[in-house]
This record gives sequence, structure tokens and C-alpha cells, in this order.
Amino acid sequence: MRIAPLLAVLACIALGSTRVAVAEPYLAVQQGYKCVACHVNPTGGGLRNTFGLVYAENVMPASTLPAGAPVWLGQVVQDIVRVGGDLRTDWSRTRVPQSPTQQQFALEQFRLYADVSVIPNLLGVYVDEQVAPGAAQTMEAYARYGNTSDWYLKAGHFYLPFGWRLQDQTALVRQVTGINMTTPDNGVELGLERANWSGQLDLTNGSANSGTGSGYQVTGQLVHVQSRWRLGAAGSFTRADAGNRQTYGLFAGVKTGPIAWLGEVDLVRQAGYPNGTRTMIPALAEANWLICKGNNLKLSYEYSDPERSVANNGQTRWSAVYELTPIPFLQARAGFRRYQGIPQNHLQNETLGFIELHVFL
Amino acid sequence: MLPAALNTRPLATHWRRLAAAALCGTWLCGCSGSGAGLDSNGQPLSGSSSGGTLPLSANFDAIQANVFTPICSVCHAGATAPEGLMLDATHSYNLLVGMPSTEVPSILRVKPSDPTNSYIIQKLEGHAAVGGQMPLGETPLAATTIAFIVQWITDGAQPGTAAGTMAATFRVASMVPENGDVLAVAPAQIVIGFTRELDATRADTAAVRLERIDGEAGAQATTAIAIQPSVPAANPRALLLTPRSPLMAGQYQVVLSGLSGTALSARDGEPMSAAPADANGDRIIARFTVAAPP
Repeated sequence: MRIAPLLAVLACIALGSTRVAVAEPYLAVQQGYKCVACHVNPTGGGLRNTFGLVYAENVMPASTLPAGAPVWLGQVVQDIVRVGGDLRTDWSRTRVPQSPTQQQFALEQFRLYADVSVIPNLLGVYVDEQVAPGAAQTMEAYARYGNTSDWYLKAGHFYLPFGWRLQDQTALVRQVTGINMTTPDNGVELGLERANWSGQLDLTNGSANSGTGSGYQVTGQLVHVQSRWRLGAAGSFTRADAGNRQTYGLFAGVKTGPIAWLGEVDLVRQAGYPNGTRTMIPALAEANWLICKGNNLKLSYEYSDPERSVANNGQTRWSAVYELTPIPFLQARAGFRRYQGIPQNHLQNETLGFIELHVFL
Repeated sequence: MLPAALNTRPLATHWRRLAAAALCGTWLCGCSGSGAGLDSNGQPLSGSSSGGTLPLSANFDAIQANVFTPICSVCHAGATAPEGLMLDATHSYNLLVGMPSTEVPSILRVKPSDPTNSYIIQKLEGHAAVGGQMPLGETPLAATTIAFIVQWITDGAQPGTAAGTMAATFRVASMVPENGDVLAVAPAQIVIGFTRELDATRADTAAVRLERIDGEAGAQATTAIAIQPSVPAANPRALLLTPRSPLMAGQYQVVLSGLSGTALSARDGEPMSAAPADANGDRIIARFTVAAPP
């Protein structure tokens, strides 16, 4: 019962008078806040701010730390340098019809984040570095001018804002649009944050233009946030030698009791195929049921029409994922995903089971 | 805040709500396709359908049929194939296995038994040092699909059934650039694929030459271009010709020696089965043109 006032105070300290919030999209919908409430990055994901960490320590887990225990708030130098990270390791079992079943342990992700507020609320530098697996890779590195609770300008290498920034990058809406947390781009972003509005406008190279020295991508997003629901629209246009690409998206979230609902529908038109322009429509419906503190059941249904002009080619994906956060900064996830597509393509009919351990700070 | 969310409504109510929503979602969004009238790539059946019929597994034939042919060769084909990498069934193995990537020449496109240091995996997973994730601008391959390619490389990147079977004759199987190609960009390497493993000790500048063709038809002269021939240890069916300096605009020909003392031979000593050598003992196997910059 003492948590709410503490959060409110920290929220106001961290973000002034603006409304502040929590981490993954479903958590944001559950709480009725914007991404910038819990993340340093105003479009969400990556390094958590003070409020995000306090939430992770006190609200997310089934058991909190004892009173008086040392608290991790991510600050290396008070109000100047902040660090954080995510480590995900899992065991997965994948079955593709008429192929040997595969199972393995894998380090899925080890990321480190850092943010330096050179001039607080005016000038900062942000880095998101993937340390493993494979070679180190800079996922985001940008300079930020302005105040992320008002207006700001980003320049550098960053993720583009488009639809729900889901943790699952294999979601059909993220894969088909091609705008996700595996496809950062180089350019500039102008952002505007108001009490109930959040908007971004980006001019970037376009990932399809990497190395070509030609083309560009323009991406925009506008989200209206209320305490129980939110509605967003996004659009993107890529001019590329490989074929121009137009992407439009509508996404919404609503809270009904302990269930946070997320929905998104996108339309992608990609030119450059041998048979002309292809129109694709992916969609997502997701329910997150907060069964009790630290226990969340995520059920999702996805649909993708990979080419509107062709009949009988739809693909679906059902997922059930249980997320247990027993203590602060530690989450165990167990899930099952069932892909269904045309029977003659076995890859479109795989099943995946996994158990994941996620440590975050 | 949170306590309000954890209301005391019976669990069954929430289950019913979830089930109703799932039904509505399915109805609204649709179900997976029946696949009627489509090939395995989801394209309408036609004479030119390129769908693979092999189930995907960790062998080259299955990967070619399910990944390289239907997905990669949409772009990676013909004279304008990006980075000169043609991934159609004729060329892909010889251009992948043991071949340096053009974006990062210190890394092989496929390094047998070492998927981590194989450029193709870095490109498919999206963490290569240069360029975007493959397929460029498309949905990335599923992790399962990449896992099969990783496993194929881990297993030594063996050739497929067709290439793995001892060919009856030793001859040229593929060539990049191909005969008659007009290239907008000079190739950094010329790759000749053979039906059998080469005797690498015979792969020298006496056995193979690259010549620039000068003058008009009827009065042609040729100038030898300095090259470094090599047979990749990981792919002894391929002969790699690396010009020692960038090729200028002009017409070129690749010439194999037909003389018994200098000609290429298979590892078992079998001589090449090819058109008879001309009076000079030469066999021209391809001519291509590097176009002048606009």
C-alpha cells in the first residue's frame, strides 16, 4: 500500500509534471502511461529510467526486496551517467514437419545500455550495445537535444517508431513491416511529447538502402494515450533502388480489469518483386492477464496475408507465454508458439516451445 | 494503481472474456490458408514455379530448394546479382563455400565447420559489419531456417547430392561472370566451378589466363591481365581468379590451357573434357564485358 505514493513521488521527480509509466507495451497499457515514463529512450525499449527501475523493484515482482536493502537505480554518476542491461538465455525446442526436431540452449541476448546527460534535460548521448551473441554490435547510438518530456531531436543510429515496440521481434507485425528492434537506422528524429500525445517524425537512410548511397525513409507516428486506452497511427515510406516501400499501421490498447489488450493492423506495399508490387497485411491481437502480482499470462493471435492478390496463402501464429517475475530484475518465461500456414510449406507450420530466463537492470 | 488492476472478479469471467476475444479475433483476422493452387512458396502454380519440394533440413539441396532458390535468387541472379553473388542452383555452392565475401574479404561467405565466422550467417542474422540484414528489406528468415543453415555449415558445408556425386566427366560446370555478361561494375573475382575436385597444384597462370581483348573484330589482339589463381581449400571444385589490379572497362576472356603439360586436371588426374584446343592450345571458356562508367 505504500508503493503507490512512492512511485508517484519518484515519477514526478523523474519526469516533472508529465504523466509517467512503465516498461513493455502491455505494462504501459495496464498502467495507462507512455513509454517515456519508464525508458530513457522516449520511444521505449532499452535503458530504464529511475521510475522504471523502481517499478521493476517494487511492483513487477511477486516478492520485493526487504526494507532497507540496497536499491539499484542505474545511476553511476548522479543525474549524469546511467547504465543498464538485459540478458536473455533460453532453452528452445522447434519442430518443423518432416524435419528433425531441434532443441538447444542459447544465449539469446546480452545488451548493455548507457546514457550520459551532458546537460540535464537538454543534451544527452545514448548507447545500446549488443554484446552477445556473436560480435558486438551497436544497436543504438545517438545524440539527443531537447527534453524528452517536451520536444527533442535525435541524431545518429536508432530504432524507428512504428506500432507496438514488442519484446518479441518475431511477431508477424514486426517481421512483415521490417521495422523492429533488429533494424535500427541512421538519421534524425523529431519528437514531441504532450500530456496525452506522443509523436515522432524520422528521416533516415532506410535499412534497404544500406551501403547503396541512395534512397531514404520517412517514418511518422502519433499516439493518443488515456488512462484506460490508447490509439496510435504510424506510417513509413522508403525510397530504395530495390523497390519503394509504403507501410501504414493502426494500433490500440485497452485495459479491462486485470487484462491489457493490444491490437495492431498494418498494411505494407513493397515494389520491386518480379511480378510487381506486393501488398501484405499483418495483424496482432494480444491479451495480457495479470493473474496476480508477478504472474502474467500472455495470449496472442497473429495473422498475416503475405500477398493480397493471392488467395489461400494466409499465415497465423498462436502464442501462449507465462511470465513469472519472482524477485526484482529476474523473470522466467515459458511459452509455446504455433505457426500455421499453407500445408505445402513446412516452415510455415512449425511449433516452438521455450523456457527463458531474463535478467534486467 | 496496481491493486486496482487486481480486482476480485472470478477467474472464470476472465477466461470467458479471453476465449470470446480469441474467437472474435480469429473471425476478424482469418485463418491460415489452405494452400490450394499454390506452390510451396505461396505463389500460384505455374510452369515457372520455383518452389522447393524437399523439406528443409541441414543439407545443401534442401537449403537450395527452400531458401536460396525461392528467396535469395530473386535478387541474387544474373549479371546484376548484388556483390556478384548468384544463388541460383547452378552457381550458389561454388560462390558460397570457401569464397571470400566482397563486403568483408577477410571473412569467407561460408567457412565450413565455422558458422559464426561465415559471412552468410552474419548477413542472415543481421549483424554483419557491412550492409543490411538479408533478405534485404524483406522479412528476416525464421530462426529455425537459419539454424538449418548453421547446422549445414557446422557439418562441413558439404555439397548437395548432384555435386557430391562423382561426375562422369571433368568439365566446367559454372562460371561467374558468365559468357556474354555485360557488367556495370568490374568483378573483384572470377569464379569457375568444376564438376570434380581440382588438382590444386595445376591451378597456375599457365593453366588459366585472363585476357583483355583490344581492337576491332577481325583485328583483335589480347593483353594478359595479371591474376592470382587459387583453389579454396574448403571448396576444391572451384577455381578463383583474382585480378591483381581492378579491371578497366573493356572486353575480357577467360582462357584455359589445352596443352597436356599445363592443362587443369581433376584431383585423380583426369584431364578436362572440353572442346578441342585451338592451334595455340587454348580454350576460351567465357567472354564478358566491363562497361564504361556513365
